Amino acid sequence: MGAKSITTLLLLGLAILSFTPPATAQDSDVAVVVSSGNPATNISLGDSRKIFAGTKRSWPDGQRIKLVTRGPGCMERLVLLRLLAMSEIEYKRYWTGQVFRGEADAEPLTVPSVGMQKEALTLFPGAISLVNVRDVKPGMKVIKVDGMLPGAAGYPLH
Amino acid sequence: MRRARIRAHIYCALLVLLLVPASNWAQSAGSGDQATIAQLVEQIKQLQQQDRDLLERIRILEAKQPQTSPVAVADTASPPTPPQSTEQTPPPQLPSATPRDWHEVHGIQFRGFGEVDYQVLNQRQPELGTGGFVPGSAGNFYTGDFGLFLSSRLTNKASVLSEIVFEEADAQQYKVDLRRMLLKYDYNDHLKMSFGRYQTNIGYYNWAFRSAAWLQTTANRPLVMEYASNGGLLPTQAIGVSVIGAIPSGKLGLNYVAEYGSSDTIRPDLNGDGLVTDENNGNQTNVGFFATPDGLRGLQIGTSYYHDQISNNVLNASGAQVPPPPGSLGPSVRYGQTIVNAYAVYVAQGIEFLNEGFLIRDALVGGSLHFDTPAFYSQFSKQLGPVRPFFRYQYVNASPNNGIYDDVGLRFGPSFGARYDLNDYIAFKAQFDHTVRRGERDLNGLHLQFAFTF
Repeated sequence: MGAKSITTLLLLGLAILSFTPPATAQDSDVAVVVSSGNPATNISLGDSRKIFAGTKRSWPDGQRIKLVTRGPGCMERLVLLRLLAMSEIEYKRYWTGQVFRGEADAEPLTVPSVGMQKEALTLFPGAISLVNVRDVKPGMKVIKVDGMLPGAAGYPLH
Repeated sequence: MRRARIRAHIYCALLVLLLVPASNWAQSAGSGDQATIAQLVEQIKQLQQQDRDLLERIRILEAKQPQTSPVAVADTASPPTPPQSTEQTPPPQLPSATPRDWHEVHGIQFRGFGEVDYQVLNQRQPELGTGGFVPGSAGNFYTGDFGLFLSSRLTNKASVLSEIVFEEADAQQYKVDLRRMLLKYDYNDHLKMSFGRYQTNIGYYNWAFRSAAWLQTTANRPLVMEYASNGGLLPTQAIGVSVIGAIPSGKLGLNYVAEYGSSDTIRPDLNGDGLVTDENNGNQTNVGFFATPDGLRGLQIGTSYYHDQISNNVLNASGAQVPPPPGSLGPSVRYGQTIVNAYAVYVAQGIEFLNEGFLIRDALVGGSLHFDTPAFYSQFSKQLGPVRPFFRYQYVNASPNNGIYDDVGLRFGPSFGARYDLNDYIAFKAQFDHTVRRGERDLNGLHLQFAFTF
């Protein structure tokens, strides 16, 4: 293959690449969502960590918090594990321990789809979940984390 | 040459064809087209999601199918009914959303923990026999603690929890121990109360691992945190009230613990002489604080202060009182027992680093005589895939003149090994222990364990 052919192929490659839309930071952000009736509008990152670790168990109005999570392999799960600084194996062990210590009734409800996340948020008034910002649906109330919404510079969950 | 020039022209034309629309797309993407494309993409995503949800519902309905099949069989035996007109046919009901099957946890939740152990020592002298290990044997199998954990939510704020343990004792006899039986009431995150038999919150280990071997990284507990019924030094259980809650403290993450209850610790001697010490405890008070700072994920630091009054009432195997050695104080003498604990643990990023120190002071009531027993352990482990290698160093130093812990003496040394998680429910652990003892030969031991949960 000649030098000219290689150049041509490179140019073609560049041209094809120019069709790919650039990824934005917003695409990879994960929103904290609650039931639409939940009065919360903002939580700190520290509180979100305590909530998803099951150590903070009620909302300021006394409503019990219900954790709804996605299964292993999902982006939301990876963000959750990063938030808690745990691996999958540690996460499972941690929750078994939480139940055994009497700190939780059961492990968090794990659902296989965004649709079911939405339905869980409708069913449990105190529910909270992590949803990829692209998958946020009507009926899911996105709350701020440390005063920031997904997409904002410095948003911590991605 | 000419053909090459023509080919170059064709390539250039092709490139222009490719680049022009690309640049046009890039220009127009900034305007109205971008919104249209985003809308289309969103619609596709919604359709894909609906598709996934429907598939999930079908899967759940299929899973439920065998339960409904007997009805279908019965229907075939019944006389055929005339077909209904389309107007009469009730509208097809969409499968109820799976969330209808979800519910808050009611009824009794059941879990279990167990272990199967093999331990071998390099001596045949009687030594601590925990969980079924036969003192004086070089090595044997035993089953340790088999625990059944039951819990039930009664109301939005109240629940019940119990932990029943079947513990192997001498000659493969099993004794039942109600390790925990609690009526819990969580008013809010700042006030969580438990009434009943609880595990004292002295230190971190007792709170974090309770009695489940599966939860522990190592095959056994540090000696100072061992259950009193297995020769441990601390009063691990009491009946009374335990209150715990968060203190509004911002990023410091401060919490408190307050306990008041009655203990009745009976601990067997560690040296395998067959004697037990009935401490005839009074009512114990335990107060503690711990912090989980936001800035350092996984860090927990805490301290606690415990006080009670105990006796040194030594009994033999048949329960008869053993006369105190000449010159020592009898069982009627009371000691004020104070236990001060401080700990710093880091559990995150696959690392487990536990450090706890204790000072146990037994002071003669109405006198100046007192004995201090310092103890600590430090444990480090790191998760590497399914394997978690660990290292632990522990130290206990009880005065030989302290009649309560004269069987303990000075003991220190390292333990190391690894935990291998075969799956989410079963772990295999291998641990080597080296213990230096005052006035005794060093003790080496190998401990193998299958620990499981179900």
